[in-house]
Amino acid sequence: MKFVLFVAFCSGLVVAASGGPATPAQDKSSSRIFVNVVLVQLNVAVTDRHGNYITGLRPENFDITEDKISEKIATFEEGGAPGSGMGNAAEPDRSSVSPEAASPAENAKDEAGANAAGASVSRLAGASVFILFDSSDYMYRGFVFAQDAIAGFVRSIEQADRIAYYSYSRNLSRATALTTDRTLVMQGVRSTVAGDEAALYNCLLLTVRDAAQLRGRKAVVVFSNGPDNASSVPPEDVEELAQSTGTIIYIISTRQAQDDPLSSAVFERMSKGTGGKAYFAKDWRDENLAFASIREDLAHLYTISYYPKPNPNRGWRTISVKLVGKDLGKYHVRTRDGYRLQEQIPTASQATSGQASETDFSGKQPSTGSSQEHP
Amino acid sequence: MKHSLRSSTLVLVSLFCASACIPASAEAAEGAQGFPEQADIQAGHPAPSAPRAMATIPGPLRSFLRMAGISQEARPEEVLPLLARNVSLLGYQAGGETEYLILLRRYVEFARELRAQVDAQDTIHVDSCDDAGKLIIVLGYQFKGNCGDKDAYLVTANAERAFLTVDSAFPLTRLEEALQNHTPFSYSFPATEAPVLFREQDWVGASSWRHKGAATVVDVLLHDVDLDRLYWALSKEDDETQMALHRSRGLRSLIPIATALEFYGSQISVRSGRVLVPGGPRADAAWEQLVGASPHSPGEFVEHLCERDHGWLAAYFDAISRVNREQQRHLTEVPRLRLMYDIYRRAGSSSSAMRGVFPRNGDLLVLFDGLRWQPDGTLYIPGNLEIWKEIFNQDSSPKLIRDWVKNARRWDSPEQLLMTLVACSTFQSDEGPLQIYMTLSAVDRGRQTQNRLADGTVRLMAAKFSRYHSWYLAFTEFSALNDTSVTQFLKAADAVTDISAPALRSNALGALQANIGLWEILARQQEIPDAAMNTSWQSMVSPFIGVSTSVQLFDATRSSLGSMLNVASGDANLSQDQIIDLLAGPAQQSDAGRRAHEEIADRMRGVLDDQRLVSLDTLFALYDGLDQMAHGSAVKDQLIPLAGSLREFEMPRAIFTAGEKAAWAPQIYTSRHAELQVRTDLTRVIQSGSAAQLEAARGQLTPFLRDTLVGLNYAYYEPPGAQILRNNPLFVRSHDFGATSISGYSEIWDPPSLVGIGVTAGGGAYLIGSLANLPYALASAEDEFIAPENAGALVWQGAAPALLVDAVQPRWWSTTPTELHAATLYQRMGEELLVAASGNAEVRGRVTDILADLMNPRRMEMTDRALADAADTVALMPRITPAEKFYLAAQYRRLYPADAAASGAAGRELDALARSNPAEVSAERLSRDFGVPHPTLEQTNACAILNVKPLPAFAGEDYGLVGESWESSNLYWARLADEMGYAPASLNLLVPELSRLMIAKIFATDLDDWPAILRAMELTGDEFRQGGIPIAAMTTISQR
Repeated sequence: MKFVLFVAFCSGLVVAASGGPATPAQDKSSSRIFVNVVLVQLNVAVTDRHGNYITGLRPENFDITEDKISEKIATFEEGGAPGSGMGNAAEPDRSSVSPEAASPAENAKDEAGANAAGASVSRLAGASVFILFDSSDYMYRGFVFAQDAIAGFVRSIEQADRIAYYSYSRNLSRATALTTDRTLVMQGVRSTVAGDEAALYNCLLLTVRDAAQLRGRKAVVVFSNGPDNASSVPPEDVEELAQSTGTIIYIISTRQAQDDPLSSAVFERMSKGTGGKAYFAKDWRDENLAFASIREDLAHLYTISYYPKPNPNRGWRTISVKLVGKDLGKYHVRTRDGYRLQEQIPTASQATSGQASETDFSGKQPSTGSSQEHP
Repeated sequence: MKHSLRSSTLVLVSLFCASACIPASAEAAEGAQGFPEQADIQAGHPAPSAPRAMATIPGPLRSFLRMAGISQEARPEEVLPLLARNVSLLGYQAGGETEYLILLRRYVEFARELRAQVDAQDTIHVDSCDDAGKLIIVLGYQFKGNCGDKDAYLVTANAERAFLTVDSAFPLTRLEEALQNHTPFSYSFPATEAPVLFREQDWVGASSWRHKGAATVVDVLLHDVDLDRLYWALSKEDDETQMALHRSRGLRSLIPIATALEFYGSQISVRSGRVLVPGGPRADAAWEQLVGASPHSPGEFVEHLCERDHGWLAAYFDAISRVNREQQRHLTEVPRLRLMYDIYRRAGSSSSAMRGVFPRNGDLLVLFDGLRWQPDGTLYIPGNLEIWKEIFNQDSSPKLIRDWVKNARRWDSPEQLLMTLVACSTFQSDEGPLQIYMTLSAVDRGRQTQNRLADGTVRLMAAKFSRYHSWYLAFTEFSALNDTSVTQFLKAADAVTDISAPALRSNALGALQANIGLWEILARQQEIPDAAMNTSWQSMVSPFIGVSTSVQLFDATRSSLGSMLNVASGDANLSQDQIIDLLAGPAQQSDAGRRAHEEIADRMRGVLDDQRLVSLDTLFALYDGLDQMAHGSAVKDQLIPLAGSLREFEMPRAIFTAGEKAAWAPQIYTSRHAELQVRTDLTRVIQSGSAAQLEAARGQLTPFLRDTLVGLNYAYYEPPGAQILRNNPLFVRSHDFGATSISGYSEIWDPPSLVGIGVTAGGGAYLIGSLANLPYALASAEDEFIAPENAGALVWQGAAPALLVDAVQPRWWSTTPTELHAATLYQRMGEELLVAASGNAEVRGRVTDILADLMNPRRMEMTDRALADAADTVALMPRITPAEKFYLAAQYRRLYPADAAASGAAGRELDALARSNPAEVSAERLSRDFGVPHPTLEQTNACAILNVKPLPAFAGEDYGLVGESWESSNLYWARLADEMGYAPASLNLLVPELSRLMIAKIFATDLDDWPAILRAMELTGDEFRQGGIPIAAMTTISQR
C-alpha cells in the first residue's frame, strides 16, 4: 500500500529538525501518514507609526500564538544577520548566537538614494526575489517605462542573493530562473515580449509555487497595471498559498490601477495578508519610493520560526504576533496572519536550475526525509 | 462541435505573441479570413528544386519574426507566406489598421534606420561610449550618467522607438554594459534574404498600393491586404499549381479568387498539366461537367472551381479531396457527384462559403468521412427511411430541409437520404439531422448486424438527441451495450432531468453522471467483463429512476455505485481507497506496473484531498449510523466524530465582502452548493434528534456524496501540471450541473464549459454543464498553466487540450512489451522504406502512393522530390511524422506482403514478430493501443489511429478536428519508452508528463502549424533520452 505523506508544510522551509526520531503513524482508515510538525517561518516587519523600522528586538519581545496556542520560538533572525538557535534549532550546524542585546531603536526611514541602497544591501543576503512583470495588453502603453522601472529595481538590489525574472500575459514566461547573475536578469527584463490577455492570478500562483520550494526569505514583487481578464484561479487561492508557504507578495502598480476599486482592493489585501505591501505610483516613472520601501522591508524583516504545538485544527490556522516589553505595544507588527496545512509542494528545481519549464508533478511525492514526522 | 463560454473573443489566437498581441488582434481576426493548413508551408522539407527569387528584409531574421508574430523556428522560405497571412489576419480591423500592423511597419522603417548605421560587415559598431549618441537616439533611449560609470544606465527617451528596440530583441543590456565599461559595442545587423514566390516585381507590379519611390515585396505585403491573401493562398499550392495559375491570368486577376483558394485550395494538385481530381481520371468528366472546365486546363479549371457559387464548389471539391480514396470512389460516382453538389449548392445559396474566419465545409467533410456503404453500394442507414423522414421533419431540422422532404414527390431511397444530409451540412448545428445520422451510424459501426440498433431505439435516440447527444458516445465506444441499456439510460436521464427541486436535480444529475463516468473508466480499463457490460450498466443507471428525495438519491447513488463495484471487483462495499485503486487501473503483476499504478492512485487521492472532499467511507458510515440510531442503536459516540469531519471543509478565506462580490462579479455563481455544505452540522440531530429527524438528516449527506463521486472523475482525468484542481478547493463543488448560475443556460447534458475566467471576485472558474467530455474540459481549463519555454510563445489553445486528452485518457495497463516493441518496429520500418525509396524507383512509387493518403499535395510534392535524392531523404526523415511512418509500414506490409521484410532490419524483425504474435503485432491492435479519441471526427472516445490528413480548424467545429487529426504523439512516446527500456505500464506516467513538456516547447505561428508539434515532440524526446528532463516519476518507473 502506498503511503501518502501529508506535511504541515509552512513557509516552504522544511527543515531537518534535530528533535526526536521520526515516528510516522499510519492512519489505518486512510493508509496515510499525517505529519503534524514542521517548522513554521514568519517574516515579521515591526514599524512605528511613521513607518520607520524597529530593529534590535529580541526573541523574548515576540509573543506568537497559533489558534491562541502560545508557541515557542525555535529560530530568530533579524534582517540579513545570522540566525540564532533557539533550542530545537533548525540548522544545528549554525552556532548558537544570542541576539544582540540592543535596545529597540528607530531607524530613520531610508529614502531611495544610493546611500540607502548601500545600507540595505548586506541585509538582503539570503532573500530570493521573484519579479513578475505584466506584459499584457494592459501594460502596452507603459511597457518600456515599466521595464525601465524594473531595471532600476534590479540594479538597486544588486547585491541581494538571488533574483528570478518572470513575465506574464495569458501564460507565464520564466524568462530568467533564480540567479545571482544580474546581467542575466537584466537581459530577461530587456527581452520581454508584449503579450495579450492578463492572467495575473494564474501566473502569480505559479510563481508562488516556485518560491514555495525555497528556503529562507522569499518574496514575489509584482509589476502590474491591474486588471486580470484571463485567470481561472481566484486571488483567494493565491493568497492562501502564499500565506501557507511563507511567501511575501509585494505589488507595484500605478494610480491607474488604484482608480480601479477591484484591482486596488485585491492588491492591498492580498499583499497585506502575506506580510507584504501594495504601492501605487503616479506612473511607472515614479516608482522609486516603492522600490526603496520593498528593499528596506526585505532588509528589516525579523525571521522567526517555531514548531507548532499539537493542534487538531487541519484547516486554517490563525497566527498572531504581538510585541512584549516595555513601550513595545505601540509598534505595528506586520506578518502573515495564518496558514493552511499544505500538502508538501513537490520537489522541483526549475526555480534554481535554469529549467524554463515546470518540472514538478502536481501529485503527491513521498517524503524526502527532510521533514520531521510525528505520530 | 463544442462551444466554449471560455472567451468569446478568442475566435482565433496567436500562438506567438510579439506585437501581434497588441490590443484588439483577436477582434481583428473575427473580421478577417482564416488561413488553414499552414502545415504544408511549414513542413520543413528540402527546398524546391527550382531556384527562388529572393526578397530583402531589413534587419536580422530573428527580430523581424518577433515583430511579425512568426515563430522563431520558421525557415526562410516560410517567412513571406507567414508574413502575408499574419498581416491579412491581424493587420486590419473595422476598416482600419491594427496596432500590430502599425508597429510592424514602424519596425521595418526602424530597421532600415539601423541598417544605415552598419559597416561593411553588416555590423553596428560603436567604438566607445562617446560615439554611441546617435545609436542611442535611434533606439529611443538616453544614457543617464557618465561614460564608464558603473551606475550609469539607459532609460527611455522615446517610448515608440524604445518599444521597437525592446520588442525586436535589440541587445540593450549589452549596449548598456559597454557604455558602463567604456568598451566597444558591436552587433551584427544584417539584412535577411527570404525566398519570394515568383519574382519580387510580380508582386510589386500587381499591387494597387500607391507608394513613393521603390517598393519591395515586403512593403507590398505590409500595405496591400488583397495581395497578402493571394500570397498566402498561393503559397499553399504545389509548384505546378502555382505556375499554372500564374501563367493563366497573372497575379492581379487572381485576387478575386484568393479567398476561395485560401480556404479550399490546399487539396488542388496539378501534375503533368492536369488537375488531379478526387476520384481519379475516371471522374474527370464528372468534374469537368461540374466545374465547366477540363482538368486538363489547370489554370482555367482552378479559376472556375474557385469562382463558382460563392466558393461552394471549391468547398465541395476540398471536402471530397480530403477523404480516403475508397470514399472518393463512392462519392464521385455518376450521377451522385453532380446530384450531391446540386443540393449542396442550393442549400448553401443563401450565403457565401467564404464568409467568416474558418472554412465552412467541416460538417460535409465529417459526413463524407463517416459514410458507410452496403455491399451493394448503397448508403448504410441506421433504422429505416421512414424514421429518417420523421427525423427530417423534426423541429431541429432546418426549415429548408423540412420543406424539401415534405414536398418531395418521392423520398424513399438511401440516395435521397444522402442528398438531404449533404444539404444539412451547410447549416451549422450540433444537434441537427446530420449529427443524428453521424452519431447513430457510429453507434452501429461497432456492432454485428444482428445487434444493430432496433428501429424503436433509433427513433428514441433521435427524438432525444438534442438533449443527450454528448452521452451517446458511450454507446459508440462500448458497442456491447444493447438497446435495453440505451433505453434504460434515457429513462434514468429523463427522470433526473425532470426533478423539479433545483438542488435535488443538480445533485441527481451530478451523481448519475459521475457514476456513468466511473463505469466508463472501469469498462475502458477492461475491469468490467464483456459478459457483464449490459447488466452492470443497467444496474448502474436504473436506481436513479423514480428518485424524488435526497435520501432516495443517496440510496440510489450508493446502490448504483455498489453494483458496478461488485461487477468490477466482486465486492459492492469497497472502501474509498479500494475504489481508487480500482479506478487507477487493473492490478499489475510487474514491479513497474505496480509502482505506476500506485503513483496514479496516489495522485487521485491527492486531488480528493486538495478538493477537501469528504471520504465515501465517512459518508456511508454516517449514513448508516443515522439510520441505525433512528432504529434505536446506540451509535451516537461513533457518529459525533464522523459528523465533525463533515465540518472540516472550510471555504477559502475571503478577500472580498459579500457586497463587493455582488458588485464586482454579479453574474457569477455564489458557491451556494459549497456554502450549504459548510453550514451542514449533523451533531445537533445526532445529539437530540428524533427518529424521523435522524432519517431525514441522511439526505443532507447527498451533496457530499455527489461531490466525492464527481471528484473521483476529476481526479482520474487530472491533466498533468493541473493547478486549479490542486489549489481551488471549490472547483469540484462548484460544478454547476443544473445550470442555475447562468440565466438561460439550458444545455445541462452538453459537455461542460468553463465559466468565470477573468472574473477576479468570482471565486474562480468552474464548469457548467455535464460531465460529458470531462477530460477535454479539464485540459482546456488547466492548459493555461503550462509555461511556454520560448519567449513570446503562448499555449496553443486549439491543440493543447486535445494533446492533453490524448495523453490522459488512454491507459496502457494491458499493453504488452511485444506491442510496445512493435510500435517501434513499424516506425523504424517506415524509415527504412523511405531510405529504400531514394534508391529504388519502384519502392519510391509505392511509398509516395501510400503517403499520398496522408499528405496534402504540396507536402507530397516536396516529399516526392526529396525521395529522389539520398541526401534529401536524410533531411526529410525527421519531418515525417510517427503516424506517417507507422501508416507507411502498415500499408506496405498489407499491400506488398512478399516485400515487407526487404525494407531492412526492422522490417525483418517486424515480420518475424508478426508471425509469432500476429494479434499483438497487428496494425489494428496497435491502433487501439496508441491511438487517440476522435469524438468529433468519429463520434467516439475509443482510441484509434485513423490515418487522416492534417485537418484545419473549421467553422462550427471549434478546434476538435484540429486536435483529432494529430495522431503521432502516443506512437512516438511508445517508441521512446521501448527504446529506453521502460515497461509499457510506465507510459501511464510518462506520456502525460512528456506531453505537457512537449506543449511547453511548441513554438507555432498559428493554428495549423503541425510541424511545430513535431519539432516540440522530438525535442522533448531528445531531452528525455539525454536525461535532461527531471521527471519526478522517474524513480517510480525505473527502466526495465
